[in-house]
Amino acid sequence: MADRQEIAEAYSQWRATSNANQRLRKMVRGWDRVIHFRTTDTQEGFTMSVHDQLLSELVFGLEGQPDVIVTGTSEDFCDMFWGDLNPSEKYMSGEITLAGSQQDVMRIDAISMVAFLDR
Amino acid sequence: MDAGSGECDVAVVGAGFAGLAAARVLARNGVDVVVLEARDRVGGRSWTHTTPMGFTVDRGGQWIGPTQHRLQALADEMAVPTFPTYTSGEAVEWRDGVRHRYAGLIPTSDHSAAAEAVSAILELDLAAQEVPLDAPWDSEGAAELDTRSLGAWLDEHVEAPGARSMVDVAVKAVFGAEPPEMSLLFSLFYLHAGGGLSNLVRTTGGAQERRFAGGSQQLAVAMATELGERVVCSVPVEAVDYAADHVVLTGHRRDEEATGAGGEWALRCERAIVAMPPMLAALIDWSPPLPDPRDRLARGMPMGAVTKVHAFYARPFWREDGLNGQLVSDSGALRSTFDDSPPDGSHGAIVGFIAGDDCRVFDSRGPEARHHAVVSELERAFGPDAARPLEVVEQHWPAEPFTRGGPVAYCVPGTLSQAGPALRRPVGPIHWAGTETATEWCGYLDGALSSGERAATEVLEALGAG
Repeated sequence: MADRQEIAEAYSQWRATSNANQRLRKMVRGWDRVIHFRTTDTQEGFTMSVHDQLLSELVFGLEGQPDVIVTGTSEDFCDMFWGDLNPSEKYMSGEITLAGSQQDVMRIDAISMVAFLDR
Repeated sequence: MDAGSGECDVAVVGAGFAGLAAARVLARNGVDVVVLEARDRVGGRSWTHTTPMGFTVDRGGQWIGPTQHRLQALADEMAVPTFPTYTSGEAVEWRDGVRHRYAGLIPTSDHSAAAEAVSAILELDLAAQEVPLDAPWDSEGAAELDTRSLGAWLDEHVEAPGARSMVDVAVKAVFGAEPPEMSLLFSLFYLHAGGGLSNLVRTTGGAQERRFAGGSQQLAVAMATELGERVVCSVPVEAVDYAADHVVLTGHRRDEEATGAGGEWALRCERAIVAMPPMLAALIDWSPPLPDPRDRLARGMPMGAVTKVHAFYARPFWREDGLNGQLVSDSGALRSTFDDSPPDGSHGAIVGFIAGDDCRVFDSRGPEARHHAVVSELERAFGPDAARPLEVVEQHWPAEPFTRGGPVAYCVPGTLSQAGPALRRPVGPIHWAGTETATEWCGYLDGALSSGERAATEVLEALGAG
């Protein structure tokens, strides 16, 4: 189980790496979205957004109308942000789920995979 | 239908999922319908077979995935259970002569190449979303998209050879064709119809998510059973004479029941539904000849090339090594495999595909060389136990006389934008079905069902019986 501090640190690293990745920035061009993360173990929620090809800082709490909702354990989110976890493995096993429009789910699925592969 | 002559309201040519679905709709609306099937079985590209050693094998279409609602509804109606494709554990990647293990959707031996492949697939899938499913020929820039091949698009968008290899493997598995053979417009339409390439290559959450306990063909058999004597097998339609108010179909029976002058038969009806790929429909002797766009479809929609291979073992030994039976390979005959064992794991089975140019190359080398290649590639992927299969079953679809390839017909450049509207447009009293005419899940069993239902609805309206 990961606490807020651990998730914030991991996300901060993921955000910095992602925002510096040209491939990822190209993949989110024109894709300004609000993404909610919901943890199944700690029952918490936090929010990130994509704006002008950049990931925002993480906000604790569920803010705004989400385009995509990502659900998983706090530990898995932490590992994913640190780059220690292949998100597609978790999607395939159903341990992390994505909800949203087909296009948005398709996009975040690919983005998170590339963030892992290009880490 | 007895050998000789007969009459009915509507004839359906082809007892695959499309033809049977069409006939069910018609029969339920009180239409006198006869289904004519060239083979000695129903199911079309769905064919469940018991091997000499007693293993059940789906030689053709076998999976069902999310959003295939018609297929799921049919399975529910016929009480045919499904079960998940085995995915626990890691997959094997064979790249540049080296074996790797990986978890998740994409092979990871070369992270940069994998990231490029994922990025390209996303770009392709997003472009596909822009192509309207009911009229891809009306897409913005349709003519331009249709002059290009998928291969040309990939040449521009995928630089790393390793990334290109991954995308090519996915494309070959899905279409049974090489990217340079296929129209970009058609490829985008097809991907949109199935939820994207990323969806079409997936197990969990994708097109290969679940299988039918006992095989997929039992759904066709159940539909045919409901239709009873309306379904006649071993009667290839050789010629069709048609006018505004009637259709006469003729041919010769292929089975031992043939009687009289060589088993000749004729069937007269008001309307006909032809539920087969355009290329096969064009082999019928049409009088009068079909209009030009249908000829273009026949020339421009060849069947893909695929050999489906099953290797059976006493147990699914790869699971003991933490493997899920999936292989992605950049060389050889088998470029992709899946665990095809029964739900109880009582024996082991791997299903693999030899597709596109590989199918043609290994066909030319003959069955012994192909068998040797398959077994040695399974051994290098899954270990020495794979070298001793109890039985290997191959289904070489290009050699099947009433299918001529698989898994689907694809459009070469210049076909869809010019002749696409003819795919579903009736020609006088002739209506068209078959998965190639579907707007959702084109190329899949679910698309076949929807195409049959759509064609039957057209006929009911034409007969004033809807």
